[in-house]
Amino acid sequence: MSDPRDTLRSRRKQRDRSMVLVLVGIALFVPPIVGVSQIDAKIGGVPVPLLFVFGAWALLIVAAFFLADRLSDGEPPSAEAKPNGGED
Amino acid sequence: MLSVDLLLATCLGYVVLLFAIAFVVDRRTRRRPIQWLQSPVIYTLSISVYCTSWTFYGAVGSAARNGLEFVAIYLGPTLVFLGWWWLLRKLVRIGRAHRVTSIADLISSRYGKSPSLAVLVTAIVVLATTPYIALQLQSLTRSYQVIDTDAGGFATAFWIAAGMALFTILFGTRNLDADERHHGVVAAIALEAIVKLVALIAVGVFATYVVAGGLSDVFADVDIQALGGEDIFGPRWMTLIFLSATAIICLPRQFQVTVVENIDESHLRTASWLFPLYLFGISIFIMPIALVGLQTMPGSANPDLYVLTIPLANQSYELALLAFLGGFSSATSMVIVATIAVSTMVSNHIVMPVVLRFLSADEAVSGDVRNLLLLTRRISIAIILGLGFLYFWLSGGSGALAAIGLIAFVGVAQFMPSLIGGIFWRGATRAGAIAGLVVGFVFWAYTLFLPSFEGQFLLSAEVLANGPWGLAALRPQALFGLQGMDPLVHAVVWSVGANALVFLIVSSLTTASMLERLQAALFVDVFRSAGGAPSRVASTTAGAEDLFVLAQRILGTGPARRLFDEMAQEQGLHRELPHATDAVIARLERELAGSIGAASAHAMVQRIAGRETVGMTDLIDIADETQQLIETTRQLAEKSEELERTAKALRTVNERLRSLDAQKDDFVSQVSHELRTPMTSIRSFSEILMEDDGVSPKNRSRFVGIIHEESRRLTRLLDELLDMSRLETGAADLQLGPIDVADAVQTALDALAGTTHKAGIKVSTAIEDGVPHVRANGDRLRQVLMNILSNAVKYNISDEPEILVRTRVKNQSVWIDVIDNGGGVTREDAAVIFEKFARGSRADRDQGAGLGLPICRAIMRAMGGDVTVEFARDGTSFFRVILNMDTQRDARSNETAEAERAVNKALAE
Repeated sequence: MSDPRDTLRSRRKQRDRSMVLVLVGIALFVPPIVGVSQIDAKIGGVPVPLLFVFGAWALLIVAAFFLADRLSDGEPPSAEAKPNGGED
Repeated sequence: MLSVDLLLATCLGYVVLLFAIAFVVDRRTRRRPIQWLQSPVIYTLSISVYCTSWTFYGAVGSAARNGLEFVAIYLGPTLVFLGWWWLLRKLVRIGRAHRVTSIADLISSRYGKSPSLAVLVTAIVVLATTPYIALQLQSLTRSYQVIDTDAGGFATAFWIAAGMALFTILFGTRNLDADERHHGVVAAIALEAIVKLVALIAVGVFATYVVAGGLSDVFADVDIQALGGEDIFGPRWMTLIFLSATAIICLPRQFQVTVVENIDESHLRTASWLFPLYLFGISIFIMPIALVGLQTMPGSANPDLYVLTIPLANQSYELALLAFLGGFSSATSMVIVATIAVSTMVSNHIVMPVVLRFLSADEAVSGDVRNLLLLTRRISIAIILGLGFLYFWLSGGSGALAAIGLIAFVGVAQFMPSLIGGIFWRGATRAGAIAGLVVGFVFWAYTLFLPSFEGQFLLSAEVLANGPWGLAALRPQALFGLQGMDPLVHAVVWSVGANALVFLIVSSLTTASMLERLQAALFVDVFRSAGGAPSRVASTTAGAEDLFVLAQRILGTGPARRLFDEMAQEQGLHRELPHATDAVIARLERELAGSIGAASAHAMVQRIAGRETVGMTDLIDIADETQQLIETTRQLAEKSEELERTAKALRTVNERLRSLDAQKDDFVSQVSHELRTPMTSIRSFSEILMEDDGVSPKNRSRFVGIIHEESRRLTRLLDELLDMSRLETGAADLQLGPIDVADAVQTALDALAGTTHKAGIKVSTAIEDGVPHVRANGDRLRQVLMNILSNAVKYNISDEPEILVRTRVKNQSVWIDVIDNGGGVTREDAAVIFEKFARGSRADRDQGAGLGLPICRAIMRAMGGDVTVEFARDGTSFFRVILNMDTQRDARSNETAEAERAVNKALAE
């Protein structure tokens, strides 16, 4: 990523992804999607609703972990404090 | 049985450990920051102060009663941290740039450093925190009573409260740290965070794998009812997610650890996944513990205490001890951080303004403000814990833990509209924030807070059931007839909904003051401004000495000295006080704000520095910054557009160059061709004459005639070419003058009279009367007209050939049309006949080189006119010569005529 425009584009991409992750999280945990898991069944001895909520939660955390790693690429906060060097 | 003595000894040991850690860290950090304590992991652990004893004991109780519902309380914060880039990062940046000390400080600072707003927020915080602290006291007391069954409830709670007050006062108010960071406390609560996580997981593993036989055993008899039934994911679920999401930002203690205690913005990056992971770890065994409790414990056992009673019932006393420590850690860490946060607010926003009011300007300088502040903070801590104790006492230790926690959540959720609106919307005003907060607060108190006393306080049971004065519409839990809702959802809909709406409406109806607009710009565009942007401009009536004394009183002598030395050096002074410039005053105010809050700092400095004058220039500066950015973006867009245009123009020019190049090649080959034909005949005839002596004299003279004729043709061609090139390059200096059109036409016709007569062509003219003079060169105009006329003669194939020459005056030009009935020019030919050497389809080789019309056009253009082929409506074509009117001449001729008349008149007399 020697081209600065590539770096910029990929950073924006990461930010967009972090926003999308939040929206996915909201979609997963708010009816109607979360209601779909509400069936009286068990997988491996664990009720499905419980499995769904904790499973989705775990997936979000894993995604956040990889995203946070990427968002850190060459982005010292001091560089952003410069005028016009900021976000958006 | 777990002995009370052992429990007390362990607790005491644990407390001593916490004190020691806080003490050592505080001391060492003062000299030099301890590296590993500055890590993002410690930061994340300190944020987990979110998990109080409400989580540690209450979540299990909630899971036992309502199934999965408890998870919602941890999903909200998870979502907020996943989106850290958009909200938390901005809050932290603002907090650092403006030395924010609390959420009340942030809100008041955003809305023009408004003291009234700070007081309002502080009041709500105190009211909302009180039940929460009571909750911690209650759970601690109950967990203690499980082990020491003889202990009196209130006495225990009292001693716990007193102990925590001592710890908080010792480590929470050690100094007025300019940036309000408490390294010792943070280290202690990080340790507590680990203890509570380990304890809860240990109890979970014990319950699942020792008491029950594994996960499948735990869930063996569990149906969907046990997980909360059919409507578990209903409005209450969503409300809880929303509330917990706002709480993780708006709770004073969360704001304290997340924003105020943050030492490095990049720590948020780690916290964004580590904190949700911590919550996940805390929650994972809650459901199994609750289920095991329900299955194995007697029905009389309180589900809120399963975490403690399950190990006890199974004779696992070490684990019970660990569980007790876990609960102890959760409760104490919350109480400590919350009281620090709230006491800061109380002293900065309620006590300081009062003190300032009673002190005269002189006293504000000379009085020992620093000690006064520390003292008020200590007293505040005691009062806040006292209030918590009072609430616990008043509410009689009743009610499930979760319900009390939620009251606090809804209380602080009232800050959400002003906070979010304040940092993302420039148009949010102080009036809007105050109105929204007041309305939200009233609804919260009426629909949730007061009913929580169940008729014991202010609202009687009668009012709760039937409404005040028997007005059913005003029933607190079915306000305006909004029935059939969960009381919590009901309260959130009314309080947060009304709050947000009133905030938006009032903001849009009111205008912000100068200072508000300034702060709004600084907050909303925090990523664009250069950190230490000017926060105010003051008239410089302040004496530097006064400011220095003030700084000493608040920051302490050492830090004040360092600050002033630094500012003096920036001004190029040595061993002197800096001049009290705007920049110095603004900087000082910012530093003071780090200790006493923006509103109080503003008021104090204002007292000394005199009238506040946020000038238009200041606002314009801020606006400029944003404007600049917009401008730059626009310019960039323009530049790229311009580039595109230039590229396009270049492409066009290039095309043109190519075609010109092709034309040139074409021209050269045409010229060579035209020259070659006469040259060939000249050469061959002269060769015959040279080599063949037997040529008859008659033939000889004929050949010489041909050679002569061809030479003349060559000369004519070369003349034409020269003429052409002179005209095109503008080298031919045509002398222009006023020319009479009728004369010019007549001369041309006269010159061709012989030809026309011989060809039997009938020539007529239609020259308008008084056609104005044109600006042209007479000889050249005649040349053009003769060329066109002779073409008309030459190509006329009609049996009764006719030519009409007519004139027309159009705007500033005069047209001479040459119309004949001789077949005209086809449209295809019209496109090319003005090109060099491009003879029309009807021309034959010997009738010229094809330069006549191109020369005509070149001449006309050189005179500012043109020559074109026009098509009449019936499809016949004619030539049109376009000339410019001679305006000067007309004016002059009128003058001359006047003058002549005058002269004539004079002569006559």
